[in-house]
Amino acid sequence: MNKDHFLEVRGLKKYFDADRPSLFSREARYVHAVDGVDFTLRHSEVIALVGESGCGKSTLALLLMGLEEPTEGVISFDGRDITHLNDRERKAVRRKIQMVFQDPYESLNPTQTIEEIINEPLVVHGIGNNKNERDERVIKAMEDSGLKPAEVYLKRFPHELSGGQRQRVVIAAALVLEPEILLADEPVSMLDVSIRAEIINLLAELRITRQIAVIFITHDLGSVGFFADRVAVMYLGRIVEIGTMLEVLEKPQHPYTKALLSVIPVPNPRLRHERIILQGETPNPIDVPTGCRFHPRCPVAMATCKASDPPFVSFGKTHQAACLLLVK
Amino acid sequence: METTAQAPEIQNQWVSRLQGFWRTFSRNRIGLVGLAMLIVIILMAIFAPVIAPYDSSSSASVKIDDVYNPPSSTHWFGTDDAGQDVFSNFIFGSRVSLTVGFFAAFISIIIGGLLGLVAGFFGGRMENFLMRFTDIMLVIPDLPLMVVIVALTKPSLLNIIFVIGLLGWTTTARVVRSQTLAVKSRKFVLRARAVGAGRGHIISRHILPLVMPILVVQAVLVVSLAILNESALSFLGLGDPTALSWGQMLNYAFGRGAMSIGAWWALLFPGFGIVWVVLGLTLLGQGLEQVLNPRLETHHLMAGRPVVRGEAREDAEKPTGKNPLLEVRNLSINYVNEGKPPARAVENISFTLKEGELIGLVGESGCGKTTLMLSLLRLLPSAGQIVNGRVFFNGKDLTALSEEEINAVRWKDISIVFQGAMNALNPVRTVGDQIQEAIIKHLPGFPHDQRLQERVVELLDLVGIAADHKDHYPHQYSGGMRQRAMIAMALACNPQVIIADEPTTALDVMIQAQILELLDSLRKKLGLAIIFVTHDLGVVAEMCDRVLVMYGGVTAEYADVDAIYNEPRHPYTQELIKAFPDLTKPKKKLSSIPGYPPRLDALPAGCRFAPRCPLAFDRCHTEQPPLHELSNSQSAAHIASCHLLEASK
Repeated sequence: MNKDHFLEVRGLKKYFDADRPSLFSREARYVHAVDGVDFTLRHSEVIALVGESGCGKSTLALLLMGLEEPTEGVISFDGRDITHLNDRERKAVRRKIQMVFQDPYESLNPTQTIEEIINEPLVVHGIGNNKNERDERVIKAMEDSGLKPAEVYLKRFPHELSGGQRQRVVIAAALVLEPEILLADEPVSMLDVSIRAEIINLLAELRITRQIAVIFITHDLGSVGFFADRVAVMYLGRIVEIGTMLEVLEKPQHPYTKALLSVIPVPNPRLRHERIILQGETPNPIDVPTGCRFHPRCPVAMATCKASDPPFVSFGKTHQAACLLLVK
Repeated sequence: METTAQAPEIQNQWVSRLQGFWRTFSRNRIGLVGLAMLIVIILMAIFAPVIAPYDSSSSASVKIDDVYNPPSSTHWFGTDDAGQDVFSNFIFGSRVSLTVGFFAAFISIIIGGLLGLVAGFFGGRMENFLMRFTDIMLVIPDLPLMVVIVALTKPSLLNIIFVIGLLGWTTTARVVRSQTLAVKSRKFVLRARAVGAGRGHIISRHILPLVMPILVVQAVLVVSLAILNESALSFLGLGDPTALSWGQMLNYAFGRGAMSIGAWWALLFPGFGIVWVVLGLTLLGQGLEQVLNPRLETHHLMAGRPVVRGEAREDAEKPTGKNPLLEVRNLSINYVNEGKPPARAVENISFTLKEGELIGLVGESGCGKTTLMLSLLRLLPSAGQIVNGRVFFNGKDLTALSEEEINAVRWKDISIVFQGAMNALNPVRTVGDQIQEAIIKHLPGFPHDQRLQERVVELLDLVGIAADHKDHYPHQYSGGMRQRAMIAMALACNPQVIIADEPTTALDVMIQAQILELLDSLRKKLGLAIIFVTHDLGVVAEMCDRVLVMYGGVTAEYADVDAIYNEPRHPYTQELIKAFPDLTKPKKKLSSIPGYPPRLDALPAGCRFAPRCPLAFDRCHTEQPPLHELSNSQSAAHIASCHLLEASK
């Protein structure tokens, strides 16, 4: 097995119908949510997917989970093509790839107890021969997620827990299946700052204790710092820069990455600095700009940016960015 | 094997859930009255042969003297046209009415529930077909159709049950479908799919438990409707002649001269029976809805008595000589809750705001920062009361103003930019319209002509929205533009102070940077003073002059921004800064603060941060620390509340 290509994504695209051809408009229009994404994930690696809302990062997560069918492209896992699967095959893959959702208030069924919630995946997959065996796994998952002692929480309902505790329940319900990849879609953006560090530290620990690979999706480059191995920056359905954490944070190449980094608040008033504030917002993904899709907001755009789509330029083995300014 | 192992466990959970349900329901008076009314009738129907003094079917020995006798000691409800005892018929009639009601409703609920569930869950063509079919059924008038069908078929009890049942499912289908749709789109259903659950599992474990409460309420209402329908059919003479129901009693009495003789008892008692049952069911349904529908509950802070002024307030004081723009002094706010001790949401908060100054109010959710801000303009919900302290604005004590006087301050002097711009804007009116309304409402003297339009455009321009977006609706705006529109609205009357309550929390970093830049430029351009409420330490470091850190309703630390970040004295401030990711030190592990902020109804006895504090000692758990002044400088006061700072005072 190729260790470097545990999960491999090639040319992945997802278009949603915006307008179907009808009496009034002849042309079908599409939302280009994900528009050609390539990356690989290694064993127990943490990769951060960073981008603003509308950049397609959440759609990408749903595609990887098989909750949406890709329009084009290939996803392979452990050397096997998992792009299109039937229900039974999909279920088997889901045991290996689990997801943590953004909103811990909405992603738990209010009528289930914590025990039922964490036990549910075991029931669904028919894991464990008897109740004792399942109970053991549930308690192990809870303790690994920091819900200690587990007995205190088993019979409680989600509304009796705080936001941070609920997010731990969501993580425990994913861990109970002993997945190999954990997809975390903005897992801390709804939580208070003092709790965020806890959840991020927990995810960082899991990759060490359980060798789980993590895909960490966020709009906040600031929060990926210490635990991501690599960072991929997305803009309008594509990755525009990818590299190791230090490469991207310390030597960003793409103007978009530079701007994103410059606006991250630094918790020290002595380090107030010039910020590159991009004007406007991410264009809607129905009418994608021609050429480089970032050019309308790019502070250093040239005339040629409008016309040609920039290729990836490599900086060393691991660092790539797609910008015409970088082409020599 | 799986099921046998789990069966007793699941049963136990259901028992405990039912017990929990009964605990809430038994406190609901309307529901209990309805239930009692229904139980009386059901008992009567079950024990009919025991209670009824006469056998209803024995009409063999009827004499002319027995017909339409008024109520007497032998016939409590009088006799009817056949000389039978109305009381006995009334009792036996309940059996027929209830049987038809319950069985017909059972059929309706099964059909309606299934159709609604299938249409809502599977969607697409199936839904389209089922719901159009439901719509057609809904527009056909029920009663005439029932009359036709029953008249065409044999009017037996079974036929009547089927006809009522088969025609009465439409509202149930619609209610169940909309609830299914609502539940299906919730995130926990997506999570169940991600876990690998199939359709059957999702329906039985996630959809049904949340549809069930609504179905129960609906069932109760359908039963009462079925009883009414049965009565109507019988009254029209289409009932089963062998089973005497209340409707049929009415039919016989009405058709056989009870009105002309004046035998009111033959009409009154069966009519009363129908009203009793339907009323009982309606009350029960209403009670169940109140218990089962969580949306009808009020927030614990909203319930409560109207504002009562605190008794233990200090005597009126004058503002300090320096005369800052806004001075909050020793402000305390309680939420009163009947039967419970008041929740001390905010305690002894003081700060000042100078012209053009930007102060950051930092704290986690539930620390009382929004309560504090709302109290400045006296916009607290009715349970919230200011129990101590003063708020001086330009030397005026805002806490002592009448409602009319404070209204003159709101928006014109101090305005608020609320969190969640989408919810604060009216979705059916254009943004320009809403800004215009804000101007007219707060400045009644403003000329209603071209100048009003110009002012709206000017305000939009101030916040960076092009004039042609004036006539757009909020949904056509992006999140960042909506927040800009909210700021424009807050600026409508040229206020001196703007309170920005988490204005960037739901926004992306880039949009957040845009909004922060806008607020900062407005402050310089218009000389605004801004109170920036946030939980984001980074934002505060970027733009604030002074910072007030709140924890559990009290001041943790209050100082200049540089002191807060470079010489924090309170352990909470120190820990909070360590927990915040710093890109300038990417490899550094984030330290987290163990535990969670205190709940307002369970505040610790001593220092409110003590349970999470790494430096806490015995005294911290028993005694609330006072505010220690750490700097003598007038311009840069540094205050922190921690026992460890006592020596450095």
